[in-house]
Amino acid sequence: MGNKRFMQNAVTGWMVPHGEHADIVMSTRIRLARNLREFRFPIAFSDEQAEEVGEIVSEALLSEVEKGYSYTRMKELPQLDRQVLVEKHLISPQLADAEQFGSVFLSEDETISVMVNEEDHLRIQCIYPGLQLENAYQKANETDSALEKKLPYAFDEEFGYLTSCPSNTGTGMRASVMLHLPALTITRQINRIIPAVSRLGMVVRGSYGEGSEAPGNVYQVSNQLTLGKSENEILAELANIVSRLIAHERRSRELLLEKSRIALENRVFRSLGTISYARLLPSAEAARCLSDVRLGIDLELIEDVEMSILNELMIFMQSGFLQHYEGEELTSEELDISRAKLFRERLKNGPSKADEQTDRP
Amino acid sequence: MLCENCKERQASVILMQDTQNGPIERNLCEKCAFNLQTFSISPNQEPMSIQQFLSQWLSGSESLHQQTREVQKMPECPECGLTFHRFLEIGKFGCPTCYETFRERLPKVFGKLHNGNTNHKGKIPASFNEKMTIKKKIEELRTNMQEAIQEEQFEQAAVLRDEIKDWKQKLAAEIEEGGSAHGE
Ligand SMILES: [Zn+2]
Ligand SMILES: [Zn+2]
Repeated sequence: MGNKRFMQNAVTGWMVPHGEHADIVMSTRIRLARNLREFRFPIAFSDEQAEEVGEIVSEALLSEVEKGYSYTRMKELPQLDRQVLVEKHLISPQLADAEQFGSVFLSEDETISVMVNEEDHLRIQCIYPGLQLENAYQKANETDSALEKKLPYAFDEEFGYLTSCPSNTGTGMRASVMLHLPALTITRQINRIIPAVSRLGMVVRGSYGEGSEAPGNVYQVSNQLTLGKSENEILAELANIVSRLIAHERRSRELLLEKSRIALENRVFRSLGTISYARLLPSAEAARCLSDVRLGIDLELIEDVEMSILNELMIFMQSGFLQHYEGEELTSEELDISRAKLFRERLKNGPSKADEQTDRP
Repeated sequence: MLCENCKERQASVILMQDTQNGPIERNLCEKCAFNLQTFSISPNQEPMSIQQFLSQWLSGSESLHQQTREVQKMPECPECGLTFHRFLEIGKFGCPTCYETFRERLPKVFGKLHNGNTNHKGKIPASFNEKMTIKKKIEELRTNMQEAIQEEQFEQAAVLRDEIKDWKQKLAAEIEEGGSAHGE
């Protein structure tokens, strides 16, 4: 079935649960902002400079660093394909908007992406499944070190890596971890935790960016400071906060099971029913139900659904993906129909029932 | 919301503009917000007033007034034309040289944004690293030399002095090779 093939191509490295605490931590992302010394930042550069930056970076990346990067210019990529890359978290929405001179280099396994001419000349990103701050940093750092041999970076002894936005100056590093925190959300403890975390120099927000509430109870925790602390200090502090959040979440889950097992089971199985059989599935409902089912699997209330399907469905439920999957633009009702259909197929035909890797001709 | 000016990119900066009918809000993308000052588009474009970034970063109204009064003598980046005033409005630098241009004022801005921190601590690109290692070495040797002099070990001090001279030459060579953006 053609759809299955689409799914397999659509699944990218970080969606397959792996790494520490993969039940709670969905993914780890490191982003390094870098700029070339002799050029204005993208906010102010001329078209000629933009072209030149693109050429210099692609020469360095394609010839020297590593073979196997694919190179895509935003202006040559249809809007919908760009949206899919955003939904897979491989490029930022801002790069998708940078129609004229933005481009992206993607490693074969899609764990490394280098965005060119986004807010900065270079944004090196590494995304891994589960909690892997050190590994992800190591990989991003390797790419950065290989590039800095070829590229004259804008760097200052006092201020560190010079970036367009002063909130990135210094290490230029943003480390973030995506966490599924349903029990902290259900018990409303998250409202007390978010301000406490921000006092520690970290930010918590819904996974789809600033100001968004958390659809599917997925939160992103990241460092706020980039000056005055080394990369390793930042990573250690973030790891510390994340591990405390995980411990909190686990305790709350146990408590929920203990105090209100039936209510919890009821909620989890109703949600499983909804995503398995619904004919119309609006995105907010889909996100909420996925969160419940995920929790149900973690707590071993649900045993016959594979966890890996859930990370995928979190991504596939978005509108860019659905339209790509159907091969056409969809109205919002058509999206809800398509989403319901995809969920039904995926939950019946997923890897738990048929072993796709070996069975297929 | 799309930028009012180019109608292409997402608007991400709100600039307050004073007009005869009172202040109006303009929703612009960062690029247009930046460009509107450097290459003023319409002739009746009035200077835009200080916006959210400034109030966030330089809290208290006295510094706000002070900043406004100082606008005239504020430095302007020779490379991209950004003024410090405009930097505070749009919250972005235009080029690496901006950092050099606004160097004295930046610790205050960074302090606000980075919890009091104003100095980089962390990775250094290899080309810069070499130079900084040498500088650290020279500092260390100088301290040792001072100690030797205090303890009246003048022979030892002379040896250290020569060593410092050697390192200084190496440092000069390193800078020659184009290690630094702002050579000393
Ligand atoms: Zn614009
Ligand atoms: Zn400048």
